[in-house]
Amino acid sequence: MRRISIAQLRENIEIAFDALRASKLRSGLTILGVVIGVSTVMTMATIVQGVRDQILNTIQVAGPTTFYVIKVFQTTPVNPDNLPKWIRIRPDISAEEADRIAALPQIEYAGIWAQIQLRLEYQGARTQSIAGFGSDERYQEIQGGELIAGRWFTKAELRGGAPVIVIQEAQALRIFGRIDPLGKTIVAGGRPVQVVGIYAPPANIFAPPGQEVGAVFPYQFVLHSYHIDKTNSLFICIKPKAGVSVADAMDAVTIEMRSIRKLRPADHDNFDLMSQSQILDTFTSITDIFFFVMLVLASVALMVGGIGVMAIMMVSVTARTREIGVRKALGATRRDIMLQFLIEAATLTGIGGLLGILVGLTAGRGVTYLMNINASTPIGLTLVAVAVSVAIGLVFGVLPARRAARMDPVEALRYE
Amino acid sequence: MSPQIEEVGLSTTAERAAVVGAAGSTPDKDWVIVTRGLKREYDMGGEIVRALRGVDLAIRRNEYVAIMGPSGSGKSTFMNLVGCLDTPNAGEYWLSGQLVSTFKDDELARVRNKEIGFVFQTFNLLPRASALHNVELPLVYAGIGSAERKERAMEALTKVQLDNRASHRPNELSGGQRQRVAIARALVNRPAILLADEPTGNLDSTTSEEIMKVFETLANTGQTVIMVTHEPDIAQHARRVVVLRDGLIASDTKREAFSAKLVGL
Repeated sequence: MRRISIAQLRENIEIAFDALRASKLRSGLTILGVVIGVSTVMTMATIVQGVRDQILNTIQVAGPTTFYVIKVFQTTPVNPDNLPKWIRIRPDISAEEADRIAALPQIEYAGIWAQIQLRLEYQGARTQSIAGFGSDERYQEIQGGELIAGRWFTKAELRGGAPVIVIQEAQALRIFGRIDPLGKTIVAGGRPVQVVGIYAPPANIFAPPGQEVGAVFPYQFVLHSYHIDKTNSLFICIKPKAGVSVADAMDAVTIEMRSIRKLRPADHDNFDLMSQSQILDTFTSITDIFFFVMLVLASVALMVGGIGVMAIMMVSVTARTREIGVRKALGATRRDIMLQFLIEAATLTGIGGLLGILVGLTAGRGVTYLMNINASTPIGLTLVAVAVSVAIGLVFGVLPARRAARMDPVEALRYE
Repeated sequence: MSPQIEEVGLSTTAERAAVVGAAGSTPDKDWVIVTRGLKREYDMGGEIVRALRGVDLAIRRNEYVAIMGPSGSGKSTFMNLVGCLDTPNAGEYWLSGQLVSTFKDDELARVRNKEIGFVFQTFNLLPRASALHNVELPLVYAGIGSAERKERAMEALTKVQLDNRASHRPNELSGGQRQRVAIARALVNRPAILLADEPTGNLDSTTSEEIMKVFETLANTGQTVIMVTHEPDIAQHARRVVVLRDGLIASDTKREAFSAKLVGL
């Protein structure tokens, strides 16, 4: 069998483009299925990629060395009202443990943080349910972002659990509008608190281990004023000293935690450590499932698109019976005709794929823009999308191409 | 011209069989086409139609032959067989020393590409391609590179005086010009035979004359031309006229004799 030469390929692609130009509307409708399938995948991929980039970005901001001690590390939050026994017997994380860890020579910072959900209200204006952190004055050092007005908490406020709050700029704008929030008393989760500072988060929406943070309180205030889910939402945030590796710091913390809790060598740890890379792994495993579902859906769309291409190619072959007869008379072999129609189908779906990529990337960009995250182009997937589209043309083009190739030249030439 | 009239005597089956030679033997190099007992039958819904019932014909290199016959005589079937578009049910067909009646599909495609130049009644140019590209087509299937293809196609267009219309599409050309493009396409791969099927069937009489002059010139420069037609005044341009009737050769005459006969009618 002869190989396909580049010249032959180019020749056939030219023929294909010519045929497509001859029937633009029909070609356009034909590739619609492929366009939709590919653009869906590309949109979703752009969004997922954007979110993933954002998480990596967050880790960069927080410093990739930050890690956490938590009661139990699970890929999905556990129901605090129905804990399995092995979790129920674990002690809650405590502020004393955080203090002990902070005193370790390897550790730069260790603080107990609690996350709660609440709404902020001021004179009838209120926010949606947002995440709030009970933390300390070094919150911003760990999470990034900047204080744009007011101040963080004083030592006294932290110790006494004073009802003060630093709120996020966007939330401040929502409930205060043009009023200066500093010094005002708002209702946060049903309790009056005084606004002492406004801060802007880093340019991303993901703050581990939760979502967008709208408010920060002194930890002691949160502990005493709100209900804390001590299984899922209470943890010690730890940052090792410069020059200390995360692994070394994690070892030191594990030893310290075991000694605080008086565990014997045979006992298992009754706490979990959670590093940034584990969080990323968790996220990746979720997005992988997401990708899989998306691929299944896209495959269905592409399948439908492929069948459309097959139907239209059948019509095209019939309509061009005369041309096929002429080509055969001039010396085209079955293989030549087969190749011509296969390449035509592949060109058709290939163009569909490219359009789908353009539409998908644009839509993905639009969505990520609205979500206020930066999305980079998923280049690998773009190449796969092109390859898959072309492959669909080749697969679904086989039947029509074979029909064309097997035409009897005498009858084809006589066809009106 | 009386000596040539002597050669007319191929009108009996026995005489023709003697010329084409014994079955299985390779014909003399001088014969570009030899058919021996060529038969073609069609199954038309259970009824067997015997379109060709055993045709013995030999055509020399450089001959200019017209094949005539009323509709239903089998001339179209014969042309399809000679053009390697179809294969016989029985008999032999030798083309340029090859027994092409035994060839398979793709071998036939190669033979059509190399040995046969088709000229059709309806021109059969690709409507969306330029004249030049239409002429290039046989070279595409011969696997010839783009540069050489363009050069040779241009040469062929020059032969039919259409080099100045190379970039025009068929719908921008007159009927006569279209048929000349088709002739250029038929010639471009230097085929052993030029096979024309009613080449003037869609043309007015003036243009027909013009096209017949092109064939005349080609025949004079040594091109073997076989032309299928039902018009006697077109057939008389050829130097030999074969008449088919009911799937058999009814007569095989040199032009002078044929003209004489026409006069006699």
